[in-house]
Amino acid sequence: MKKIYRNPIGVKSYTGLLLIMPFIAGFLLFTAYPFVSSFVLGMTDYNGIGSPRITGADNYIRMLTDSGFLNAAGVTLKYTAVLVPLKLIFSLMAALVLNMQIRGMGVYRTIFYIPSILGSNLAVVIMWQFLFTSDGLANQLLEAIGLSPVSWYGNSAAAMGIIILLRLWEFGSTMIIFLNALRDIPREYYEAAKVDGCGRIRGFFSITLPLLKNVIFLNLVLQVIAAMQEFSAPYMITDGGPLKSTYTLGMLIYDEMFSYHNMGYANALSWVMFVLIALVVGLMTKLTGRGREEV
Amino acid sequence: MKKYILLTAAAGCLISLSACRGKASQVTAPDGTLDKCTLRFSWWGGDDRHQATLDAIELWNAQHPDITIVPEYGGWDGWTEKVTAQLSGGTEPDIMQINYDWLISFSQDGRGFYDLSLLEERLDLTQFDSEILQFGEVNGILNGITVSVSGRGLFYNADTYREIGAEYPETWRELLELGEKFSKEGKYPLDLDVQSGGTAWYLAVVYVQQQTGRQFITLDGELGFTEADIKTALDFYKSLEDNHIIRTVNTRTDEDGTAALYQSPEFISGRIGGVLEWGSSVGKYEISLADGVLESGPMLSDDSGNNSGWMIKPSLLYTISANTEYPDEAAEFMNFMLNDGEAAKLLGTTRGIPASSAAEKSLEENGLLTGLAQENDTLLETLDTVTISPYMELAQMKEFYNSAIERISYNAVTTESAAREMYGSIKDYLERIRK
Repeated sequence: MKKIYRNPIGVKSYTGLLLIMPFIAGFLLFTAYPFVSSFVLGMTDYNGIGSPRITGADNYIRMLTDSGFLNAAGVTLKYTAVLVPLKLIFSLMAALVLNMQIRGMGVYRTIFYIPSILGSNLAVVIMWQFLFTSDGLANQLLEAIGLSPVSWYGNSAAAMGIIILLRLWEFGSTMIIFLNALRDIPREYYEAAKVDGCGRIRGFFSITLPLLKNVIFLNLVLQVIAAMQEFSAPYMITDGGPLKSTYTLGMLIYDEMFSYHNMGYANALSWVMFVLIALVVGLMTKLTGRGREEV
Repeated sequence: MKKYILLTAAAGCLISLSACRGKASQVTAPDGTLDKCTLRFSWWGGDDRHQATLDAIELWNAQHPDITIVPEYGGWDGWTEKVTAQLSGGTEPDIMQINYDWLISFSQDGRGFYDLSLLEERLDLTQFDSEILQFGEVNGILNGITVSVSGRGLFYNADTYREIGAEYPETWRELLELGEKFSKEGKYPLDLDVQSGGTAWYLAVVYVQQQTGRQFITLDGELGFTEADIKTALDFYKSLEDNHIIRTVNTRTDEDGTAALYQSPEFISGRIGGVLEWGSSVGKYEISLADGVLESGPMLSDDSGNNSGWMIKPSLLYTISANTEYPDEAAEFMNFMLNDGEAAKLLGTTRGIPASSAAEKSLEENGLLTGLAQENDTLLETLDTVTISPYMELAQMKEFYNSAIERISYNAVTTESAAREMYGSIKDYLERIRK
C-alpha cells in the first residue's frame, strides 16, 4: 500500500524554501555573484582601485594578439595532456596493487595517501625545490647510478617534469576513487573467467577496465579541471621559468590581477579559462560517448 | 520567467560595477581627539626590520594603552599582491609601509590614500625637507611620507675577497677583470637577483646612464633611453655573465631554485662575493653572514673617474588608508614611527637613514648612525646621483627587464632583438599608463 505523507501541522509551502535558504544565500553570495561580477568586470578596464570603464570586448580582442596569453594557454594544455594520463595510469596501478589481499594492507593504503594530505603546501614545495637543485637528491641519485646530472630548472622539459612529478606524487585521492570502484567489482567475475582460461592481463582488460569506465571518466574530468587551473606548484617551484615554459594560465591571471593591476583583463582571462575547461570536458564527453548513456 | 532572469542579470551587473570601490565618499575626517581603538600596521622586510619594528610597536603599546597596534608583516615576495588584494577589497591596514611606485599604481589621482596634509596637527611635517615631502605627493595631494632616501650600493663579503686576494673594484673595468681570479676558485665576485626587484637591469642602467648622461625613465614617465642604449645595457649584462662576474640565470636557478639571493646557500657560504642592494634593505644580507663580514664597496665609475648615474629614491613611505575610521590615531602612530626619538633608537637604520631630522638626530646622539646603511648613504652623498622614476619600479616594467635578461642569458635571442622588443614594449606601456 502506498504510504501517504502529510504536511505536519503548521508547515507551510515556503517552509522548505526557508530551510534551504542558508545554502541559497551562500550560493548567491559566494558563487553566483562572483560569477556574474567576473563576467561584467571582464568587459571593463578595471584596475582594482578606481571606477571601471566599460570597454566591451576589448579584453577578449587583446587576447588574440597577446603572446603571453597564447604561450600560457599552450603551456596549460601541454601540462594537462601529459599529467592527466600519467596520473590516471599511476593511480590505477597503485589501486590495483592495494586491492590485493595482503596482510597489513590498511597501513600501506594510509602510507600511499599521505602525500595527498600534505598536498603542495609551502614546506613540501621547499623540500621539492631543494630535491632538484644542482646538488640536490635527484642529481645525487642520477650520479650514483652513473648518469649525468640534469639542469632541472634550466631545461624547459625538466622544469615541467618537476611540477608533474609533484602532482603525480599526490595521487592518493584519485587512487582512493579507483580503489573503491575496484572493491565493488564482484570477485565471482574473475573466478568465472579463470575457469574459462582467462589470465590476469586479459581479466584486467576484459573485466576490470570496462567496469571501471565510469570511474575513469570521473577521475579524468576531475583531473583535467584541476590541471587546467594549475597555479601553486609552478608559481612556487619554477616561477614559470625557464623562459615561461611552465607559466600557466593560472599564473598569468594572478599576475595580471595582482601584479599588473589589470583586473578587467584578468577577469576576462578567467572566463576564457572557464570556457576552455568546458570545451575540453565537453570534447571528452563527446569522444567517450558519455552524453548518450546513463552514468 | 525570462524577464526575471534578465532583470536579475542586469541588477547583478549594476551591483558588480557599483561595488568597485570609489574613494571620495568614504573618507573619515579628523576630529582632533584620540579615541580608544585598534589599528593595523603593515610592512615588508627582512628579519632585522621585523624585530626592530615589533620592538617599536611594543613601546608604543606600552605608552598608549588605548590605541593598540596590530602588526602585519612578511617578506617582499608576494607582498605587493597581498596589498593589492587588500586595497581592491577595501580591507587594507590603517597604516602601511608602501613602495615608491605604489603611489602611481594605487593612487593615480591622489585619492587612493589619505590626504596627510589634513593631519598636520598630529603629524610633524616640519621634520622633513620640502623636497623629501614632494616624493609622497600625487596630484598635489600628500599621500605618503618618505621614511628614508637611499640608493643601491655594492656590498662585498670581506672574507671571500680576502681569501681570493682581491680588492673591491672601483671601476667597471676592474669589476670585469675580477672574474678570472674568482672563477679559478669556483666563486663569483658579485651576483644580481634577476626576479626580485630587477636588480640585474638596475646595474646595467647605471652603467649606461653614466656613459650617456641620459636618464632611463624620466620622473614623469618618459622613456629616456634609445633602443641603442638598451642594447648597450643588455650587452653589459651579458658581459658580466660571460666574464664570470655573476652567475647565469640558468646556474642561479639550478643552484637556488626560486630562493632570494640573501637566503641562497651560495651567498651564505661565501661563494658569492658581493651583492647590489638598497642601503635601506641591506640588513637582510648582513644578518645572513657573520658580524662585520659584509662591507660597503666603492660605487663604480668609468676609467676617467666619472661616477655619475647611480640612483637614489625614497626607499619607503608610510601612508594612511583612505578607509581608516581613525585618521587622528593613525597619524599619531605614524608620527611616532617617523619622529619619536625612542622609537628611532629601536628602529635604527633598518629602513635606511631616517629622512626625519628628529629621528636622525636621535640616532646620531646615541651613536647609532653607523653600519652599512650609513656608509652607503655617505658614499651616495659624494656622487652626482639621479632620482629614480617611480615608473621604473612598476611590476610590469620589471617583467620587461627580467624577461629580456632571462632570454639573453639563455641565448634565446640576441641582445639586438631583445633591445628592440624591450624598447617597443616599454614605450607602449608608458604611453598607455600615462593616459
